[in-house]
Amino acid sequence: MASSSGNDDDLTIPRAAINKMIKETLPNVRVANDARELVVNCCTEFIHLVSSEANEICNKSEKKTISPEHVIQALESLGFGSYISEVKEVLQECKTVALKRRKASSRLENLGIPEEELLRQQQELFAKARQQQAELAQQEWLQMQQAAQQAQLAAASASATNQAGSSQDEEDDDDI
Amino acid sequence: MEMVAAPAGSGAPREEEGPGGEAAAALPQAPTSGPGARLSRLPLARVKALVKADPDVMLAEQEAIFILEQAAELFVETIARDAYCCAQQGKRKTLQRRDLDDAIEAVDEFAFLEGTLD
Repeated sequence: MASSSGNDDDLTIPRAAINKMIKETLPNVRVANDARELVVNCCTEFIHLVSSEANEICNKSEKKTISPEHVIQALESLGFGSYISEVKEVLQECKTVALKRRKASSRLENLGIPEEELLRQQQELFAKARQQQAELAQQEWLQMQQAAQQAQLAAASASATNQAGSSQDEEDDDDI
Repeated sequence: MEMVAAPAGSGAPREEEGPGGEAAAALPQAPTSGPGARLSRLPLARVKALVKADPDVMLAEQEAIFILEQAAELFVETIARDAYCCAQQGKRKTLQRRDLDDAIEAVDEFAFLEGTLD
C-alpha cells in the first residue's frame, strides 16, 4: 500500500487499529488477510462518504465549520440513522466530562486567592523551611563542637590526674 | 487521547482546518481530555487527515471529527458482524473476503462500497 507515498489520497485508517477492532468484535474468529485489507478500505471509504455528505450539509446551512450536527444529519441521510443514538450518547458523555472538568478547574480558581499570591506564599514557605533547616544544621554542628571540646577537657584532666599520681617525674606526658 | 485541549472555561468549539487553512495542531491518539476520556479505537488524527483530504472541506469541529470516528467504529463492527453471518451461512469458520462482498451486496447502506478494491 502507498501509505508512505505522502499522497493524501492514499491515506487509510491504520491496519493495526482495524485488526484490533475486528478481534474485539469477533473474538476467536479467524479472518483472512485479504478480508482485513478490505475492511480497512471500506472504513476509509465510509469516512470519506460521511464527511463529504456532512460537508455538503454544512455548506447548505451557510455555516463555515462542519459541526457534530452536520455529521449526524449526514449519517441519517446516508442510511446510517441506526448509528445516531449511540453516537449521540457518546457525545453527551464527552460533553459531561468536559463540563465537569471545566467546573473543577474553575472551582480551583475560585478559592479567592489569586495564583500570584499563592506562588508568593509558597516561596515564603520554602524560604522559611530552608532557614529552619539551616538553623537546625548549625545547632547540631555547635552541639558536636561542644561535645568534642568537653571530650577533650575530660581527656586532659584525666591525664592530668594520672600525672599527679605518678612518681616518675622525669617522664613528661606529652599526651594532650 | 488528547485532542487539542480546549482552554478551561471556553465554550467555543475547536476547529480543525482543512487544506485551505493553516495547519492545525497534532492530535495524539488516546483522549484523556477533549472529547471525553473515552478511548477512540481509531486514531483521531488519521480520521481528521482523511476529512481534510477532501479539497472542499475547510473547517471541521473537533467534536465533529470525534463523532465521525465513533460512527466509523460502529461501521466496522457492523460490517464485520454481517460478514461473519455470511461465513456462518457458508458453514465456514474463517471470515473470507467474499463474505464481505456478500455483506456489501446484501445491505443497502453498503452500496457505496461496491467496487472498493484492495
